Amino acid sequence: MAEQMTTTRREFLVRSAATAAGAFMSIGLPSMLQGGTAEAAPTAMFTPSIWFTLTQDGTTTMHIVKAEMGQHIGTALAQIIAEELEVRWEDVRLDTPLESIENFAIYGLAYTVNSGSVTTEFDRLSRAGAAGRIALLEAGAQVLGAKLDDCYARASRVYDKASGRSIGYGEIIQKVKIDRKFSYPEDFKAIKLKRFGDYNIIGRSIPALDIPAKTNGQLKYGIDVFLPNMVYGALVVPRARYGSKVLSIDDSEARKIPGFVKAVKVDDSIGKCTGWVVALAERFPAAVKAAKALKVNVDPGPYGNLGLNDITQELSERAKNTQAAANWVLEGDVDKALKESERVVEMEYSTDMICHATMEPLNATVQFTDGAWHVHAGTQSTSFARMTLTAYLAKVLNQKPEDIKIFIHGYPLGGGFGGKQDYDEILAAAFCAKEAGRPVKLIQTRETTFATSFARTPTYHKLRAGLKGGQLAAMNHDICCGWMGERFSVGKKFGTDWLQLDSWDEKKQDIDQWSIGGSDHWYDVENHRVRAWDSPRTTWAVQASALRTVSNSYNMFVVESFMDEVAHELKRDPLEFRLALLNGKGGSRGIPNTGYSPGTPSDYYMDRLWISLPWPNDNAWPQYESATVGGALRLANCLRVAAGKAGWGAKRLPPNTGLGIAVSSAEERQSPTWVAGIAEVTVDPKTGAFRINRITIAMDPGRVVNPMNAKAQIQSAALWGASQILSERLTFANGAFEQSNFHDYTPIRLADAPQIDVELIESGHHPSGIGEPAATVVAPAVANAVYNAVGARVRHMPITAEAVLTAMKKRA
Amino acid sequence: MPNLTINGQSYFADAPSDTPLLWVIREDLRLTGTKYGCGIGACGACTVHVNGEAVRSCMISVGELGDAHIVTIEGLDPANAHPVQQAWIEQQVPQCGYCQSGQIMQAAALLSANSRPTDKQIVDGMTGNLCRCATYSRIVGAVKRAAEIANDGGRHG
Repeated sequence: MAEQMTTTRREFLVRSAATAAGAFMSIGLPSMLQGGTAEAAPTAMFTPSIWFTLTQDGTTTMHIVKAEMGQHIGTALAQIIAEELEVRWEDVRLDTPLESIENFAIYGLAYTVNSGSVTTEFDRLSRAGAAGRIALLEAGAQVLGAKLDDCYARASRVYDKASGRSIGYGEIIQKVKIDRKFSYPEDFKAIKLKRFGDYNIIGRSIPALDIPAKTNGQLKYGIDVFLPNMVYGALVVPRARYGSKVLSIDDSEARKIPGFVKAVKVDDSIGKCTGWVVALAERFPAAVKAAKALKVNVDPGPYGNLGLNDITQELSERAKNTQAAANWVLEGDVDKALKESERVVEMEYSTDMICHATMEPLNATVQFTDGAWHVHAGTQSTSFARMTLTAYLAKVLNQKPEDIKIFIHGYPLGGGFGGKQDYDEILAAAFCAKEAGRPVKLIQTRETTFATSFARTPTYHKLRAGLKGGQLAAMNHDICCGWMGERFSVGKKFGTDWLQLDSWDEKKQDIDQWSIGGSDHWYDVENHRVRAWDSPRTTWAVQASALRTVSNSYNMFVVESFMDEVAHELKRDPLEFRLALLNGKGGSRGIPNTGYSPGTPSDYYMDRLWISLPWPNDNAWPQYESATVGGALRLANCLRVAAGKAGWGAKRLPPNTGLGIAVSSAEERQSPTWVAGIAEVTVDPKTGAFRINRITIAMDPGRVVNPMNAKAQIQSAALWGASQILSERLTFANGAFEQSNFHDYTPIRLADAPQIDVELIESGHHPSGIGEPAATVVAPAVANAVYNAVGARVRHMPITAEAVLTAMKKRA
Repeated sequence: MPNLTINGQSYFADAPSDTPLLWVIREDLRLTGTKYGCGIGACGACTVHVNGEAVRSCMISVGELGDAHIVTIEGLDPANAHPVQQAWIEQQVPQCGYCQSGQIMQAAALLSANSRPTDKQIVDGMTGNLCRCATYSRIVGAVKRAAEIANDGGRHG
């Protein structure tokens, strides 16, 4: 890492201080007090940690480092702090720290991904809140002249049980200078936290704090930024998705458009924004017109003639070379067990590309002023945005990275879904700002947003199951697809390798866990092997990337469809078959309570399941309970609940209607959220068209911070899953995506949205993520329901009416 | 160089007359609650009211508007007191929120034309508005709730 943390975190301070206008108090890093966390510091405040500030008027502002993109994460994280800090919820406010090299050293990596925010922040925010409460209790007791043991805190006040008197937090920090130290990590680890069951604020369906500004048009997204003297940028649709080179630009027609400023050939020397030309104009519509009027002469590059058929052929071809495979799962002796099986079931599956298609198109506004670059954008990682732009500008400007000053002003995202963690718009807007000598607001049109999509890779799968004595004795899963990790890692040579491939097999061969994960399912299968192949050409041509639930989104479709096939082949009920394999033994056992530490070899999987992240050296945190505790026994319970709710085996169904089940444990093997889904589907046997009537989800995320919001997230994820099995498909020809807008790329709409029933199972374990996992069970549950309705097994996602009809005819 | 009446105020739009209303509202007048989603009338994020009817502002140019009365999300009720806004908050409809100005304007127009819509009328009236977070079930619930609030004599009755 180029950046090292400049301060060490050996102790946390709880401190109050006087300013000209009043008093404030802090616990946290001394450097934070100078560095400034909030853009406008209140005059009298108490900052009991870097994560929140209490002012003398009694308000508490929580500093939220995670990106707000529809999951209401600020409200959830604030609930966690408020619970232990004992503040009155009405006094809670939110803000977002500016991303800079200084704040990175304090807050660590600002990166919102993997449905992991509550999981990773729960413990430390709870402890930070508790530390603040302890400091306020001690100070409050002092002011009240009470014994500390007689005092307790509740709703922003300290109460003395002996005298019955109380004092507000705001008053305490005006009256007492607090200077409390907690050693790190010893004192922090020793803080006693409330237990599950004793919560007052966690577990309540508190209305999300960011919602009122979303119903009156007041919330400002990145696309709503205005800077003085700014010029608008519109992208010319690049000739190929990746790798084309601009040879020359003819702007003679564009110059006739009023307001046209200039055409900019964006520097693409670090392998981002390849073949990009941006038209700059005084108004956005003029920039769009100019972009269309520019005549760009291009070399289409290495992928310029590639089509989807070439890719799918290549994927199945590569998977024939077993010598080149990397082993992702290797348990038992699969080859031997297959040989000794009574029967082998062998099936091929494949999945199409889809893309994020966030409602807010990609955009960025960049200004260079007073020696610093100011970026305004909604992004899933303001930290990676800053680091990537640093590397880019170092190359473009031929400057040292440490001489480049960058501030990233984060905004709420109009949808993320994994699609706002590449920073091409930011780089291009910065380059254009340099060329224009003015601030640039670059807005991608819907058409260029589609053209520059970061796709979920197409995938090819071959599965074999060895059946013996009515049981599944062996399972082999071969997967070939683009590996998004290679695309992120290859930045090594440009200094942008923020996300490194850090997983490997026993031969030390790299594996991209983000492309293969999910295939390491939780069933107890004695002989289990997953073999993986990459396809670099696919990775680069379609710019393979993470999309809500990442590789689970295709691997769970495949694994859970195939498990159903095996159950039917064995003439066993798919529910009973699954429950028998989710037994808490072998591959379905959870990790004992060893805690969660990146790279810790505490399990077969754990030693090679981590992606290196540029976390400041000293910013580690005590371990917390592994989300895998209980193992697949928790998954079996989810399945039982879902089956009961959906009426599995008991409900009388209309003709051509079936129920289908699936389970999943997204996102990663070491961070599972246990979820089961049951879909009810009716098929029109004449056309093959089908309708999803209802989806039932049962989920055990350990603890739920905000049940109403959790249910909303789960419904959202379930419909995301429904959308990708029903109607989303991205295709590719001549090196470019063929879809350009919502007329030919069709996410699910209200008229097709089934009812989603959600059952939350609070088992009390450490909380795991809820924003994505439900999406993974819907596609296979629907595929299995289609089979149970009309006997049509479709081994491709999405499932089209034609495919259902073909499968029905094949069966007849 | 048309004059526009937006949220009861008169604006001089210094833009070519073929400019889509959306871009004048957003970038010139800086009423950014109205969102750009697709530019082809396929998503509904840019929905505003023109003479009381829900219109995709990306599909109508400023030159076509004459003396029409335009209302944007900012003009519905800044204090969130319109029945649709009240219901939207009560039911916690928005997630990322980007499409919600359009959803709310669509729902408000639907209810002003039909104060007691059936479920089917709600689905038919709202299905043209895309929501990538798929807040659909709460949208249906909130439209019903808004009808109740309005019919019970809410402020905007």
